[in-house]
Parts: sequence; C-alpha cells; structure tokens
Amino acid sequence: MTLSRRDFLKLGALVTASAVLSSCAPVYRRLAGDLPTVPWAPLTASDFLALNRLTFGPRVEERARFTEIGLQNYIEEQLAFDSINDFDCELLLNPFKTLNMDANELEGISNQLFDGYDRDKAPNELRQATLIRQLYSKRQLYEVIVEFWSDHFNIFMEKGNCFYLKTVDDREVIRKHAMGNFRDLVWASAHSPAMLTYLDNQANEKSHPNENYARELMELHTLSVNGGYSQQDVMELARCLTGWTVKEHFWLGDFAFKEELHDQGVKNVLGRTIQPSGQSEAEQVIEQLVTHPSTAHFIATKLTRRFIADEPPQQVVEKAAQTFLDTNGDIQSVLRVILLDGLPLAQPKYKRPANFALSALRALNAETDGAAINEHLLRMGQSYFNHPTPDGYPDHSEAWQGNLMPRWQFAFELIRNEMKNTKHNLNALLDVVPTDSLQADVDAVASLLLGAPLERFTRDELIDSVSKAGATPEETLQIIAASLIASPAFQWR
Amino acid sequence: MLQTLPVLHQIPNKSWMPRLAFVPRNSAPRGDTLVVIFLRGAADVLNMVVPHGEDAYYRLRPSLGVPRPDDSKRKKEERALDLDGFFGFHPSMSALTDAWISQQLAIIHACGAPDESRSHFKAMELMERGVDDERGPASGWIGRHLATLDTGNSSPLRAVGMGTRPQRSLSGSVPVSALRSITDFHLGGDARALQQMRAALSTVYEGDVMGQDTLSIMDTLQQLDPVNYQSKVAYPDSEFGLALKQTAMLIKAEVGLEVSAIDVGGWDTHFAQGSVNGQMPNLMKDLADGMAAFHADMQEYMSQLTIVTMSEFGRRASENGSLGTDHGHGSMMMVMGGHVDGDKVHGQWPGLGEGQLVGPGDLAVTTDYRDVLSEILTKRLNNPAIDSIFSNYQTKPVNVLSG
Repeated sequence: MTLSRRDFLKLGALVTASAVLSSCAPVYRRLAGDLPTVPWAPLTASDFLALNRLTFGPRVEERARFTEIGLQNYIEEQLAFDSINDFDCELLLNPFKTLNMDANELEGISNQLFDGYDRDKAPNELRQATLIRQLYSKRQLYEVIVEFWSDHFNIFMEKGNCFYLKTVDDREVIRKHAMGNFRDLVWASAHSPAMLTYLDNQANEKSHPNENYARELMELHTLSVNGGYSQQDVMELARCLTGWTVKEHFWLGDFAFKEELHDQGVKNVLGRTIQPSGQSEAEQVIEQLVTHPSTAHFIATKLTRRFIADEPPQQVVEKAAQTFLDTNGDIQSVLRVILLDGLPLAQPKYKRPANFALSALRALNAETDGAAINEHLLRMGQSYFNHPTPDGYPDHSEAWQGNLMPRWQFAFELIRNEMKNTKHNLNALLDVVPTDSLQADVDAVASLLLGAPLERFTRDELIDSVSKAGATPEETLQIIAASLIASPAFQWR
Repeated sequence: MLQTLPVLHQIPNKSWMPRLAFVPRNSAPRGDTLVVIFLRGAADVLNMVVPHGEDAYYRLRPSLGVPRPDDSKRKKEERALDLDGFFGFHPSMSALTDAWISQQLAIIHACGAPDESRSHFKAMELMERGVDDERGPASGWIGRHLATLDTGNSSPLRAVGMGTRPQRSLSGSVPVSALRSITDFHLGGDARALQQMRAALSTVYEGDVMGQDTLSIMDTLQQLDPVNYQSKVAYPDSEFGLALKQTAMLIKAEVGLEVSAIDVGGWDTHFAQGSVNGQMPNLMKDLADGMAAFHADMQEYMSQLTIVTMSEFGRRASENGSLGTDHGHGSMMMVMGGHVDGDKVHGQWPGLGEGQLVGPGDLAVTTDYRDVLSEILTKRLNNPAIDSIFSNYQTKPVNVLSG
C-alpha cells in the first residue's frame, strides 16, 4: 500500500491529536473537574434549569458553586468572564496552532502549492477547539454566547475559502466581540473575509451588483425579514457594498476595498441619501442598521428565545430591546436583563445536538480530545460550522425533535466507553456516593443527569426491566445511565 | 413513566401542533406514495427548463444562457434539449428524457407562491406551511394532509423526512420520522447489552409516541436487511441519490410509506453558477440522474407513485456581474408518475420581455404551487380536504394529472 504525502500528513495529525490526550491526561482530568469528595445534592427544578441555560450542562463543581453563591451572583460571575481563570482550557488548546494564525499563514498551510500543506488542518482544529472550549472552559456563559453569535453570523466552512478564513472570523469577529458591543460585532463581521466570501460579496461589482450579502445583512444580521426594508433597499445597499472584497495577491485573505469596482453613484438606503464616498457608504448604512429599533427587537427576541423559551415572553423581549437601544447595543447589559428577568419565566427547550452531547459529557466529567464527538454531532445534524444556509442552526425545539436514534447511539457508546479517546468518569464519581444499594446508585446517577432522583416507582420499574433483560447489578447501573441520557427528560434543558 | 420527572413534567403543550386533531378526518384507501423533492436555495429554473424560443432570455443572459437546440455554433452536448419547440431541458438533465418520452413527466413553468419577500427563509417557511402569510396555521401542508386523511395506516413510517430532521412541511399532529440512513438506524453493541438497552429505552419512553415509534422503526428496519439491498439501477453517489434509493427500498418493503420528503440543497447560486458546466449544472445532473434512476428502479410501481419537485422561488431573469443570479420570483415544478399528463409543459408562460417581468426583473408567477399540490392530493392521494390543507386559498385546476 502506498501512502501519499497527504495521507501521511493526515495520519500525523491524528497521532498528534491522540498524543495530546495522553500527554495532557492530567490536565483533562483536572479540567473534567476535580472529582467531588462529597455527593452532589439534588437541585430544585428551577435551579437546574437555570444552570442548564447558563452552561452547556452543569458539572458537579458548577452545581456546588451555584448553590453557594446563588443565581444572581452566578450570573454576574459568568458575565465578568474575563476575570475567570481559564488557564487549564487554554493549555489544552495550545497544540492547535492554526487558531492564532492570520489568513495569509492559514492559506499557506492549506495551499497545495506549498510544502507541508494540509487542507483539513484548519477546519479540523477549529471544530475540535470549539468542542474543547464548550466542554472545558470555565467561562461557560461566554461560550454559550459565542455559540449564539456563531449561529447568528453563520458561515458554512465548506464554501470556497471559508474552510480557512472562518478561523479568523471565529477569533476576530465572534470571540472578540461576543460579550462586547453589537455594533462592533456587525462592523467586524461586515469586514470579515470569511463572511464576504460566504455571501458572495467578494464578487459584488459596479457592473452588476451581487445582492447576497446586502440582503442577509439586513434580513438575518440586523433588521430581520419584516424589519422595514424593501427589495429596493437591498439593491441600493448592494451598490454601497460594491468593491468590498478579499485580497487575492501577495498577502492573501485580508479585507480589501477596491475603488475601481465600486459604484460611484448616489444611493438611497432606508430613506437616506448616501453621497458617493467609497468604503464609508456601506459603513454609514451599518451604523444606521445597528441602532435601528427593528434590530434591537430582533436581537432581543433571538437572545430571549435562546436562553428563555421558544416563544419568548414579550415583556422580557421589550425590556431587553429597550436596554439594547439605551446602551447602544451593549451585549452584557442586554443579557443581564434577559437572564435576571427571563429565567424565572423559562420554558423547557429541546437540547440541540451539541448541547445534548456536551451536557452528558460534562455531567459525567468525561475526558476527551473531542474528535470522536464531532463525528457524532455530524450524525445528529449539528457539526460545527457546517450549516449551509446563512440562518444558522435552528433554535426552535421543534426543529430538533425528529431523530432520536443518533442520540441513543451516542448515549450507548458513551457509557460503554466505545468512543475514541473518550472516557467518562461515572464510576469515579460514584465512589463518593454511599453505595448501600443499587437504588441509591440509580438515584445518584439520576440526580447527576436530571438534577433530581427519579420517582421511586419509575426508578424501580427501570431497574426491574433491565434486570429482567438479564443484566448483572453492575450492568444494570451502566444501562440505566445510558438510558437516562437517552431518555426524554435528558433531551430537554 | 418518566412523565413524572422534574424536568419533563414542565414540557408545555406543543403549541406548534395544529388543532386539526379535532377536525373530522376523511377516511379513504391509500393512494399513491408521494415523493416531495424540495430544491433548497431557490433554483434557477430558467436554466433548467430553458425558454429557448424567447429572444429576451438570451439578451438577459449573454453568458449564462443555455444555447438553443439548433445553435450550430455550439457542440451538440452543450445545447438545450428541445421539449416542445419553445422550452428545452438543460443538457445536464438529459437523463430525464426517458421519463419525458414515456409521458410520465410533466413540467409546470412560471409557478410559485405569492410571497415577494425574496427571502429564502420566509419563502420556504410559508411554502412548507402552504400559507400566504405568517397568520396561517403553523403546521405543514403534508402534516395537514396526514392529519385530515385516515388511511387506516398506523405505520411509524407513514411519512418520512429523509435527513437528520423532518421537513417543516411534515409537521403536524401525526408523528413523522426522520431517516438519514437506514443502515445507520440501529444501536451498536453486543446482542446482550443491546437487549438490556432496548428494555431500558422501552421503559423510559413508555407513553412517548416518538420514542415508541423509533423503537418500532428500529425493529422493522432490522428485518429489512438494508445493507444487502440490491437495486438493478445505479443511483447517483450523493445524499440525494441515497435518499431516493432508501425511499425505493421502503416502498418495495411495504412498510406503510405514504409520503417521503427529500431535500436537495445548494441552489442559491449568486456566484459563478455555470452555464453548461459548473456548479449549477452539477446540481441539475444530480437531480436528473437521481430522478431517472428512481423512475427506472420503480417502473413496476409507477402507477402508484407521484413525485413532485419544488423550490421556494426562482431567480432574477438577468444574470448578475459575478455570473450568477440574484433572488427572483417565478419558479417551476416537475411532476413525475404513472398518471401524469406528461410530455408537456403546462402553465401559462408570461414571457421575459419588457413589461412582462415583475419586480426588479423577475419571471412572473402564473400558476400557484398550491394548485399543483392540491391536484396531487385530491386526484392521487384521495384526500378531499383541500380546504383544510390550503385554508383561505381557492385552488384552480392545472390538469397536470389524469384522475
């Protein structure tokens, strides 16, 4: 068998990835949470639900912290994400060198004209790093909001050069401004080579404008579809955006404005006359879009939907939208309103696949390098940066309720430790639980995964059905843990 | 029994579910199996079924236009395939010629929805719900079809969305299944552990329709032996090809399939879509090859099959500067099956000349997509409840189907 250079390099990357897990095993273990010394207490339904919204599913240590300082302080602690020490997680990300590269360097390692190229390195590392951050970062709320903006400003990594440009967008647009100001976020996104490429603005020229980005900037990023713009506004904004493109020579993959491709005429967008002024024409429109009441309402609605309920409570949306306008789009202030006012009104939401997988891994203090999890996310329908259309992965419960089988497969494989480079710590967690009976163990596992023990009758019925299928007590506990992850209750957060 | 769990008991009534459960259901024998193919992203239908008889088409598309069937300056394989002297297939759709000649394929041109937002997401949502605007019912048109017609079929595979989740058009009060791959639809592990897991799942999903359905589909499919399914025709090696092949397999296995919904993405071609070769021609080829393979594979079943294609809207009649097309309005549908008035382009052609285009320069809509769907539902699927499916819409006959 001949192994091409490319295959060899791929193999190299795999070896590195598994080396990461083994050499850093103590870090993973520490990150997976110092294993508790006392059993975890059950939580009230509302506390468990709040923790599920503020994190990708609570770990035992987060439950303890939450119980210690209370909801309000916990929210403030998480909002001040910069003051949370996240050194361990950063250490884990250290091997992923592409995360910090600029577009030109990324192009270099991805371009087959150069030695040592690897087309899959940048996208693979970004996907793996995203999972590791969501799983291990102590800045959970920050990671939750990063995921939110990654959907809002969705970029499909399989389109054109987005496979490497998205890494820059993730770092310089989404992560940089996720908890900052909405205006800066839109501004950065509009100048992002990945976004301009994804929505074809790199091909938007005066001879014939390309309307794709202009439309989605208004429809999906700011005003929303019924936010008060017309087809004429789309065409005029597209004219303003002519010449906004991506560098293609010498230094590749940076933003560029090409005067010679720009439409020099007068434009009229949203009732305002825009005098010819090159790059600043579209920038003037962006300033108008980000402070528009429709934008405030749209962003407030989407954030409230993500954190609180599929049908967002209107009083929370209105207060959040007002805060958005009052603070000129300060994301932390808007979030504070939504979480403090909204969490008491929260309704169950069906977990999206990544949330489902992460909450199981986090509850069980799993150790993983993330590669195998990404395979599962693909099967469940939510592989990172893999949504083809610019609306991002849906956020309604209904959109995800169709396909249970891959979730069951995940639960079953996880508990049986059949995923590559992935190991849960259920047994070690249970070591601190007084093990006087199988019933007590099942209560502890249910409390870990669902927040509280099962009703006694349900618990006994479950134990009974598994034993009848011929399981030993040890197998019974294992199967029950898997079935609880697969259960309807665990699908909701 | 897990309804008593602390989290689960708070799950609200599923508010998206329509109140159709209370509408008296018509009962009728099962009609055709319906396969709905949705071309996501607004397909450029003017380059799929080319109006080669229209000069304006070539004026609007100097680079993208597909050469006339008699354009002697171009190679034969680069020219449109004439259908009726005015319209022609894009050459990459040549695989559909057999179905066309055998009169089992019809085209309805210039059809679509009244919505003029030119937003993919709004247009798709309205079209899948089968409504004019946001005020209509939240369920999908297929969901309402299933809910209003009792065919005596309780199969969990009555309606299947091929993919990771069921399409919006399927949502409603009747449970539907999402099926990405039949061969993947099982739990791994050794038989012993599997049996234990099945017992546990059946307990935690007691009383949960979707969970019980998943378990019974798992059991049903296990008996089908999908890995060893052989077909005499070769389907394209694509997600679409796989979805059609699996639909064929479910029909042949007689597991109660009434509706299969299949998505084909990638039609949002703003940039370098390609005229004769390239991105969009590749998509057309996949579509046509897939449909042709299905047609060949299902010959014996064609008299009980109707296949329809649709897209949320069409694209601008003129090409843009990046050799693509921006969002337009009028679209096109294809209907394939044993009872189609085939070998014919239906609908009224509005023309592409000055004063004939609408909005920023788009093909007008002369046939509402619901007219086509309602004809399929009444004539082929035995559902008379069109008023409940497309409420507040008066359907008009298209006569694309024989009764």
